[in-house]
Amino acid sequence: MRTRREGVVMTASRTVLLVAGLVAVSAAAIRRPAPPSSAGGTPAPELTNASWLNADRPLRLSELRGRVVLLNFWVFTCGNCTRTVPSLVAYDRQYRERGLTIIGIHTPEFPPYAGEHDKGNLVRALLQQGIAYPNAQDNDRRTWDAYGIRYWPSFVLIGKRGMIRYTGYGEFHLNDGDFREWDRRIRQLLAE
Amino acid sequence: MRRIALLLLATATACQSHPPLVALQPGPPLRLVAASGVRINARLKPALELDDRTVLRFDSPLVTPDSAYFAAAPTAAPHEGARRGTLRVSVCPSGEAICRSLEIAVAW
Repeated sequence: MRTRREGVVMTASRTVLLVAGLVAVSAAAIRRPAPPSSAGGTPAPELTNASWLNADRPLRLSELRGRVVLLNFWVFTCGNCTRTVPSLVAYDRQYRERGLTIIGIHTPEFPPYAGEHDKGNLVRALLQQGIAYPNAQDNDRRTWDAYGIRYWPSFVLIGKRGMIRYTGYGEFHLNDGDFREWDRRIRQLLAE
Repeated sequence: MRRIALLLLATATACQSHPPLVALQPGPPLRLVAASGVRINARLKPALELDDRTVLRFDSPLVTPDSAYFAAAPTAAPHEGARRGTLRVSVCPSGEAICRSLEIAVAW
């Protein structure tokens, strides 16, 4: 992924009072799924989240060897994320029985006062969106950081041997170009 | 009354310049203005965390039909006291298909 860092510029008219800041964060402008970092991939960091929905117990990648795993980093307050959900639901319905596990990594943008950390709010969002695949609450951003994620939504496609094969980010929709590209990659990894 | 048009602009500082993303206009009320093509996330109302630990949330009754973004600049009424803090804004530039968080130290 290409990234760039943002800073802050200030201008003022008349009295300049102020001052300010720093910035955190960043951007990138390509929405296409990024190419794999290497031909064979790199080992996918283990998931360590404790709070899960749509799962009987915390999922661990080590227990999913032999399956293709698609991680979706998202948050229910992000329109780009929720508009992508129908595509993920479609993949889940089409490929779950053939060996695909989709895992939502729900990572809040703001501190807890914004409500994104609340499990009840996430439950409602999953129901509203028709999401049946497992979701982890990543309230401390541990998984987000472990994968070096910067944007909502982001995606990490992991092969049957636990290696990261494809990464990317950006909203996409049923049957658009990005949808077809992710679909192709899922089918490729399922066939290996 | 001091009239300040303090623009606090978040922009890229890499090798090339990029248009500013948001501008904070001191009021009252405080007003958060997005640059052209930049949408401010209305499902995650911008927050100003003041040094006295209070949190101001920006809001506007005007949102896009899908309620995802503000259709008018959101405002917040500052109170007496703290005049510095941390501004958090979730922005979703229309050409990028992503949302990103801005965290900016501000004072006025």
